[in-house]
Amino acid sequence: MLGHLRQCRANPLCTRRLFHDIRAYKADKRWPGWQVVIGIETHAQIKSRHKLFSDSLTSDLGEPPNRHVSLFDAAFPGTLPRLNQKSVDLALRTALALQCDIPSQSSFDRKHYFYSDLPAGYQITQQYAPLALNGRLTIDVPNIPSFAVRIKQVQLEQDTAKSTFDPRTRTASIDLNRAGTGLMEIVSEPDLRSPEEAGAYVRMLQAVLRAVGSSDGNMEQGSLRCDVNVSVNRIGRPPGTRCEIKNLNSVRFIMAAIIHEVTRQRAILDSASDLETVGVPQETRGFDEHRFETYKLRSKEDAPDYRYMPDPNLGVLRLTQDRISQLRGTLPELPWDTRKRLRGNYGLSERDVEVLLNVDSVREVKLDGEEVEGNSGAVAYFDRLCNEQGTNGRSRDPKVVVNWMTHELLGQLSARKQSFADNQISVQQMGELIDLVQSKVITGTSGKLLLRHMLANPSPLRTQQIAENLQLTALSPFFPSSTGARSTSPTSLQDTKPSPELYGLCLDAINALPSEAAAVKNGNKNVLNKIVGRVMKESRGRADAKSVKALVEELLSVNE
Amino acid sequence: MRVTRTWAKIQRNAPLHRKLSTESHQCRRVIAERNATVNAFVYTAEAVPTTNTAAPALPLSGRPIAIKDNICTKDMPTTCSSNMLKEFKPPYDATVVRLLRIAGADIIGKTNCDEFGMGSMNIHSVHGPVINPCHSTRSSPNSPRSAGGSSGGSAAAVGAGMCNAALATDTGGSTRLPASYCGVVGLKPSYGLISRWGVVSFADSLDCVGVMAANVADTRRVFDVLNVHDQKDPTASSPESRQEASKMNTARRRKWDIATGSRPSLNGLRIGIPQEYFPLELSPTILQPIRRTIASLRSLGATIVPVSLPSTSYALSAYYVLASAEASSNMARYDGVQYGLHVRPPPGADLTKTSDLYARSRSAGFGPEVQKRILLGTYALTADAFDNYFLQAQRVRQLVKDDFDRIFHLPDVTHVPASNVREDGVDILVHPSAIRTAPALSEQSGLDAYVQDVLTVPASLAGLPALSVPVPKALRVEETEEDDWPVGVSVVGQWGCDETVLRVGEVIEGLGEDVH
Repeated sequence: MLGHLRQCRANPLCTRRLFHDIRAYKADKRWPGWQVVIGIETHAQIKSRHKLFSDSLTSDLGEPPNRHVSLFDAAFPGTLPRLNQKSVDLALRTALALQCDIPSQSSFDRKHYFYSDLPAGYQITQQYAPLALNGRLTIDVPNIPSFAVRIKQVQLEQDTAKSTFDPRTRTASIDLNRAGTGLMEIVSEPDLRSPEEAGAYVRMLQAVLRAVGSSDGNMEQGSLRCDVNVSVNRIGRPPGTRCEIKNLNSVRFIMAAIIHEVTRQRAILDSASDLETVGVPQETRGFDEHRFETYKLRSKEDAPDYRYMPDPNLGVLRLTQDRISQLRGTLPELPWDTRKRLRGNYGLSERDVEVLLNVDSVREVKLDGEEVEGNSGAVAYFDRLCNEQGTNGRSRDPKVVVNWMTHELLGQLSARKQSFADNQISVQQMGELIDLVQSKVITGTSGKLLLRHMLANPSPLRTQQIAENLQLTALSPFFPSSTGARSTSPTSLQDTKPSPELYGLCLDAINALPSEAAAVKNGNKNVLNKIVGRVMKESRGRADAKSVKALVEELLSVNE
Repeated sequence: MRVTRTWAKIQRNAPLHRKLSTESHQCRRVIAERNATVNAFVYTAEAVPTTNTAAPALPLSGRPIAIKDNICTKDMPTTCSSNMLKEFKPPYDATVVRLLRIAGADIIGKTNCDEFGMGSMNIHSVHGPVINPCHSTRSSPNSPRSAGGSSGGSAAAVGAGMCNAALATDTGGSTRLPASYCGVVGLKPSYGLISRWGVVSFADSLDCVGVMAANVADTRRVFDVLNVHDQKDPTASSPESRQEASKMNTARRRKWDIATGSRPSLNGLRIGIPQEYFPLELSPTILQPIRRTIASLRSLGATIVPVSLPSTSYALSAYYVLASAEASSNMARYDGVQYGLHVRPPPGADLTKTSDLYARSRSAGFGPEVQKRILLGTYALTADAFDNYFLQAQRVRQLVKDDFDRIFHLPDVTHVPASNVREDGVDILVHPSAIRTAPALSEQSGLDAYVQDVLTVPASLAGLPALSVPVPKALRVEETEEDDWPVGVSVVGQWGCDETVLRVGEVIEGLGEDVH
């Protein structure tokens, strides 16, 4: 009953830690001679079907207010919390991905304050014995040298309701839809040293949350919010007093807030005559999204005393090793492993990897960590294209596949203002399309045309069938061999004769452009392209330009 | 709704085919006659007749049962005797109320109590104080006595014959003390056995639903209906712990609970008498009947063992810190926004600070005792005081629990295996329920009100089953004594030993016949 209280010893208000810098100083030309120290507290909404302690469903943004509210959410007397174990599992997945230690026992505490967005007058959180401790997140992305951030802890807590105040009518409205939704608070150590690192950390964290399915990490919609602690100090001097900037909801704002805060804090320190005694006043600050500036919310003296108390209803959360091992064993692939695999196994370029990962960074995250059915993201789609055997019996070249995916498929989807999730072309269809082009059954141009058609007219038919229906099969520059099989390994023009259709198209073009033909005969090779162009146009892309050029040249020289 | 009006309506409207049990009928008549003076009920329900007389008898069929007004009922108000919830009508039944209804009980009404269960005289109530319904042939009829608190209404209702049984709550003695003052049986079961879902929290880690009735048999009947695991209560003890405790208990009881003819035998039962429960403040009118009770138990074959629970003296301070801290937290929800009293700010008031707005509703909604405890609890939880008060109190609580574990024969199966028995341990403890008989309402309750709690609080802190049984009249009154008001004796057992406690209570109940 009382065991977990032993961990209550630490006074919650006394959090000043000894500073031992794990990062080597690196000069920043924006603020020469200064060091910036940043730590971030991230609140990520758990993507669970139900709230953390009640049976109510969680809500999507834009749902009518007060639709998903149970008696407990509205803090009716006599109601009691019941911990949603699915939410615990999702938070544990996150903790495992962040390489945290997971104690066998954690507990819940009440944080008290009076505000209209908090019906019970307290928020249930994990102050004294959090779910997970001592993690680590390595940020290894292009354009920034790799660095690691220590994760102090991951704790479960309730989200608040939403209250809005209309100054005109002087009325406050309260929407309890969000009240009691599960949050993970992920607290970093002060290991970040620049606004860019802070941005990269948050993006990486987002990718991890999405990969393990614990949160959609959507900052715009408020399912990921950051409180950023910033301090500055002159090189060689102890770290400065930190200011906390509350509730930042985009990476851009995080970076802008840090830059403004560095400037502001430097100005305070610069103006001081005595280096020993001067300090930045400890404050909690907000961020003005229009002026791109931070502003004071409250000073240290006004800091509320939250009167943390162990929650007498929830007691101790015990986690068995079996449960943790099971979660560890079923952890989905993490972003850095995906990156490594795409680079190593397929030899993809940094840029291509980035494109695929970016596509997946906005894919849907299902409730309660459930797997997405079917088309589950660009990387999985790519994996299947590469690993499933092609229609010609050979495996596909990853570089060809990635080009088709990034340039053509993603390009055309974006031209249609669609996301990858809207893609209706199955892996089999896409694979066949690539195979048809690779084996020159259709030309690259026809392939693109075919892709556009398939996106506009989703069909369960095989790609080859669709291509034939559209008469997109390539005009072979060769006669079919005597057996009737399509030649897939062209040798030289001298050995074979062009197909009658292409032959006809070329003759038509020469006849239609007599003066150009004459010019070519007279040695003006530049004009040749005009005749080739006409053939290409008439063939609707089914002809291969190089073959056409050779054929036209041959025809003109034969005529000579 | 006024009680008298309800009664008139029932009589007027009751069609002939609607049959009320004789007891329901009788109780409603007593309510109509006496509630105006006793003030036990704050709401009386219209009679729900048994529609099908051919239906199989349910455990509580036709039994009128009263519910303390801090337990939620969907068809009646639940005021907690507070101005804050004066108009509050919950849209739900507490699990215990639901279970009673399923068992066929006639939920007869809601009983008065101290505001949110805070108090021991039942004088801190927006409905006014409860008057002890007991009569004395010797003391002055002009000075009405307290029914005790906080469940004074439930105790008085049972004592006056207004119901067959009543649900109470017990955080630090709120069931046992009024039971003792009103001469009824009051059981505070082991913590976690009875669901708290729908019971308005005062201090969650201590709150228990209590059962009161005129005798142990009726108490047990209600307890058995309520003693089931409820998923909605996160502090409900597991079905495994319940089973384990029950098995262990039954086995142990076989050693002594052998009825030989009409006279019970207690050979083999070891009864501990804790020395700390006989403080200086204990009135002689209590001491003598308790001594006689113990002597009678010995004469039935029980072994009487003096024991010491050395942490008892610290228990009271620990209790007030913990209970107040939890209360300050639990009372935070009463802000007048979602439900309850809302005091509109006067025109021109500053609307920018939410806490200022809440303060108006909370100042008007809470009575002085509740405000006092909120302030005490708030202080105990502040960052500066937390270590010295709250954590220190938690440690004392553990010491109190350890004290009990050291003297009981059976272990607490929620923490240790059932095999961890102490051969020289006792089966139960017996001690006075109160330091005195019911005080007059006119008496100023000073620090005495708190000293009283010394006898009841330790079992609450340790989560143990505790039963107050009236000392039979034959053991109570010497012809020369002037105070013949009821005296309660408490029986306390190890966690999960509720049936053993009830069994011993039953023996005590019958002691009178033995002596005379």
